[in-house]
Amino acid sequence: MLELDNLVKDFDTKRAVDRVSFSLQRGQILGLLGPNGAGKTTTIRMIMNIIAPDSGEIRIMGERFSETLKDRIGYLPEERGLYRKMTIRENLDFFGRLKGMDKKKITSRGDELLREFDLIRHRERRMEELSKGMSQKLQFIISILHSPDLLILDEPFSGLDPVNIEKVKDCILEQKRHNVSIIFSTHLMAYAEKIVDTVVMIHQGHKVLDGSLSFIRAQHGRRLARIVYDGDGAFVTNLDYVHAVSDYGREMEIELASDDHRQRLLRDLVTHLDIHHFEMSDPSLHSVFLRKAEIKSLDDLEVGGRE
Amino acid sequence: MKILPIIFREYRMIVKKRSFLISTLLTPALMAALIFLPMLFTRMARGEKTIHILDYSRVVAEALVQDSRKNSPTLHLYPASTADTAFDTAIDNYRARILEKEVDGVLLIPRDVRSSRQVRYYGRNISDFETNRYLAEAVGAVITRHILDEQKIDPDVIRDATRAIELDTFKVKHEGVSRSSSGMDYAMSMVMLTILFSIIMAYGQLIMRGVLEEKSSRIVEILISSTRATTVFSGKILGIGLAGLTQVALWIIIGAIFILQSSIPVSQGIRAFFTLSLAGWFALFFVLGYFIFAILFSIVGAAVNTDEEAQQFAAPITWLLVIPFILGIMVTQSPDSVPVIIASLIPLFSPTLMFMRISVSMPPLAQVLSSVALSLATIWFLAWLGAKIFRTGLLMYGKKPSLREILRWARYR
Repeated sequence: MLELDNLVKDFDTKRAVDRVSFSLQRGQILGLLGPNGAGKTTTIRMIMNIIAPDSGEIRIMGERFSETLKDRIGYLPEERGLYRKMTIRENLDFFGRLKGMDKKKITSRGDELLREFDLIRHRERRMEELSKGMSQKLQFIISILHSPDLLILDEPFSGLDPVNIEKVKDCILEQKRHNVSIIFSTHLMAYAEKIVDTVVMIHQGHKVLDGSLSFIRAQHGRRLARIVYDGDGAFVTNLDYVHAVSDYGREMEIELASDDHRQRLLRDLVTHLDIHHFEMSDPSLHSVFLRKAEIKSLDDLEVGGRE
Repeated sequence: MKILPIIFREYRMIVKKRSFLISTLLTPALMAALIFLPMLFTRMARGEKTIHILDYSRVVAEALVQDSRKNSPTLHLYPASTADTAFDTAIDNYRARILEKEVDGVLLIPRDVRSSRQVRYYGRNISDFETNRYLAEAVGAVITRHILDEQKIDPDVIRDATRAIELDTFKVKHEGVSRSSSGMDYAMSMVMLTILFSIIMAYGQLIMRGVLEEKSSRIVEILISSTRATTVFSGKILGIGLAGLTQVALWIIIGAIFILQSSIPVSQGIRAFFTLSLAGWFALFFVLGYFIFAILFSIVGAAVNTDEEAQQFAAPITWLLVIPFILGIMVTQSPDSVPVIIASLIPLFSPTLMFMRISVSMPPLAQVLSSVALSLATIWFLAWLGAKIFRTGLLMYGKKPSLREILRWARYR
């Protein structure tokens, strides 16, 4: 569906995107993750042909970017923009026609989406009278109005409250069920975790991780123990099989050097502490990212090595 | 045809605004006011005036009073006794009376008025040209009559002998000959230039700000991910441009109704000036000039980031618009001289100057058509350049562009 091959983009003084490659399969959701300034938006702008890469190639549905492809792509830019002096309906009409839709289709599909996002009763109101959340929702609606085959969402959750984040998330999944291929970028990895099939992490312009969510998790193992306890937990740091500890006084997160030490840890804990709760959990994308990012910045240390 | 929704949107956003309606109606009203209010004011301002005449020649006052009763009923002239007082004493006596508004002024006619032909007026207000002119002419007429009387010559003979010659001007055109007052050509060309100037200033700025606004709202990312940058750019210019033309068309209709209805001499002159073919040329060159400058302004909008920068870059364009005003006099005096021909072929000036030449006397058709062709080529080139700069300039963030960079953008991909 979408292939990026060795994309490079330089800005004045720094390299924003450095040899980034990845591909997206039909009907899959790819999460483009990384902190602010990692190069996510630059990558997306290159996919959308808004800026040209300095080198590398992008193929969408097997072709280079062209005018005819534009009608099959939906795009939600990071910096949102709607015509403030126009009503919701006028904005929908305009952007719909710009995607080559006819008036009837815009109205039927538009109303359906407006109803879904609770905007239908505001249809005749101007954007400037509406809240920021409402215009964010309309912006999202516009990106999917023309039923695109490829949907590119840059930070789709920013500026939304939790209720609407759920709505947008459901809608993204709904699109996936209709075999739409989706890329979305976010720095909020907790949300990405719930919906993506594939993860691409970028850090300082480099791709640091690429793979399916389940593969990444398997690769990084279940090495995180979360406990709730009473007593003095200071000794845990000194255990030789413990890799890192975050102690919050009554709760502790203990990262083990490997999953094999789980039983040993539990034994050591119960002999010294009053344990209320013990669980092993998957590494969060966030902790995976942190680990990955640090490897990169410390240059070619062995995988898994920290500090 | 994705350009249509863009044109339509831009057009509607302007025409729907209340300010569009207001300026469409208010401008003709203001123009009419500018023409008629001064006339009205001069008529109203000519109030009653009381003037005393100190006639040392003893031949003028009586006749002057009689004439004025007939010719200028708002002036009340009274002969005052000179009582052998000297000039200075008489005026001194009158000073208080004038300042206390008992009388408005004193006309002082010296003993030797016949040879010196000089009279003096002392008054609070000495800049009432109508009254001043009347007094001078009236005294002159009285003296003339007095002399003729002395020489026993019939005033009718003199009147017949000194009648002025009137020069009527007729304009020879392809459509025939029509009566037209000289100066009308020049005035009409200047009117056209003024309309073009003001409409370009208003709508050029509007287009400039529109493009700039598009940049700051970042809507453009969606626009150019849906269609070509060229389409967005030309759609925007056409949309706002057509709104401007709509307004001009409405003004012309209002003006035409007014001119055809009214019987004031000016409107007869305009009717004689405007033939159908000239109206056609007007429309053609107006549209050409309009779009050349509209695109220039939109290029500025695409290249800059803030309103202040835009104003700074817009100033030179304004100067380009002023140049035809300066050259205009040259055009009416010698419409077929070489510098005028050259200037009227330079694309930025040709719409206005070529129209001026046509309105003064029809230049060779080849020249007219080349100026049209050159203007069209310029529009095409500027639109191409503009779209390039628009495409790249829009996506640059917060950087003030240098002229060199703008040129570099033009070459970009």
